[in-house]
Amino acid sequence: MMGKLKVYADRMSQPSRAVLIFCRFNGIDFEEIKVDISKRHHLSPEFREVNPLQKVPAIVHGSFNLSESHAILVYLASAFPGIADHWYPSDIFRRAKINLVLDWHHSNLRHGAVNYVLDTVLGPATGRPLNPKAASEAEKVLLSSLTKLEYIWLNGEGCFLLGGSQPSIADLSMVCELMQLEVLDEKDRSRILSPYKKVLQWIEDTRTATNPYFEEVHNILYRAKKKFEQQRSRAAETENEPSNKMDGHSKM
Amino acid sequence: MKLKLYVDRMSQPSRAILIFCKVNGIDFEEIKVDLSKRQHLSSEFRAINPLRKIPAIVDGRFKLFESHAILIYLASAFPGVADNWYPADLSRRARIHSLLDWHHLNLRRGAATFVLNTVLAPLLGLPQNQQAAAEAEKILVSSLSTIENIWLKGDGQYLLGGLRPSIADLSLVCEIMQLELLDGKDRDRILGPHKKVQQWIESTRNATRPHFDEVHNVLYKLKTKLSEQKSRTPLSSKM
Repeated sequence: MMGKLKVYADRMSQPSRAVLIFCRFNGIDFEEIKVDISKRHHLSPEFREVNPLQKVPAIVHGSFNLSESHAILVYLASAFPGIADHWYPSDIFRRAKINLVLDWHHSNLRHGAVNYVLDTVLGPATGRPLNPKAASEAEKVLLSSLTKLEYIWLNGEGCFLLGGSQPSIADLSMVCELMQLEVLDEKDRSRILSPYKKVLQWIEDTRTATNPYFEEVHNILYRAKKKFEQQRSRAAETENEPSNKMDGHSKM
Repeated sequence: MKLKLYVDRMSQPSRAILIFCKVNGIDFEEIKVDLSKRQHLSSEFRAINPLRKIPAIVDGRFKLFESHAILIYLASAFPGVADNWYPADLSRRARIHSLLDWHHLNLRRGAATFVLNTVLAPLLGLPQNQQAAAEAEKILVSSLSTIENIWLKGDGQYLLGGLRPSIADLSLVCEIMQLELLDGKDRDRILGPHKKVQQWIESTRNATRPHFDEVHNVLYKLKTKLSEQKSRTPLSSKM
């Protein structure tokens, strides 16, 4: 009999959220252990015992440790009873296509989205300076990935990836990734996402399919979003203060 | 209908799939998609893979790409593939997934980008990006260190303590083989410190003889050609 599943996560981490939502939605009994990246907990010797690669999410199931969110999602879908087939179908053809999309994700959507958000907003919280040049490279990858989602991956009968009529672990993984864009300036977020109607609908459908857990797990991100919005509007107010005699025009 | 593999032997993941099929006696037709001639950008190939990447397979009416997804599919769909390639045991299987996932943005990203920006770019008519090469080298060296100290820790000589190779060994070793194209000095500098890694490459090669070397022949020929060109290039005069 395995001990209780432990999930080491930081809810500010997109793949952590995917694993948490999956567990909660499927009624998997687990203990959530917070590893705060902004406080460098992932670099502690204790966490190194859990995952020598020092990344979240990671799980411990009895004496078995595992990292990499896709491997974790596949393991959980296979190892725990009662998980509906659509999450990771037993049909080898459908499963292969889900594996394909999960593989594609790493160097495409994830690479583009995570770097864009770090280079424009979140970097400093993890000790990484903002980098507009790297951000514009990341934006290209992100836009290219969104285009592929819109015209290839979401080009099927159902409302989920690969024509699925119900969500798979790939939908959860990738929608959690895109949710990180919530912390962007609304102007940027809108510019990037609004051309992609199917993508926007798919985000909503995945959210609906996994609520209330989706919203609950994303709460910390929504709070971070508000905090950044307030910071941005305070910064804008400061620039527009009449006591600033340096320049006669407002900075947009 | 026979399985079709759309591959270029200059592509690391293409080689992994070819070797896997040959070692496991999977009957297939190899269809060359020559990257240097931009054949992956043709409209015919687009019908096989809209993302225009190789390797890709067609099995009857089923099309698939992304080499890890392909290796998993082949290991699952074809009878007689020994369990060590893709174990049925869920925890062993999960560790292989974890490693294959890690590979994308670590070893593959480091190795492929480094070799591309130092050796292959001129041959493919692409610009050489020194900054990208320097960044890629950091990732490559860090990845090799991780393989040496973490992934090769264990009882067996293969990744994750395996006594026999898995699809992860094949995928990662084929990636590292691309470093054969580097200047001997560079290759020694990068690989030299990692003794376990070097032993593991040999073990994987031995375990998949003679197919490993046969599939890598194109790479060895290019390596020879590049060394010959280099030794013919006159030394630059000191100004």
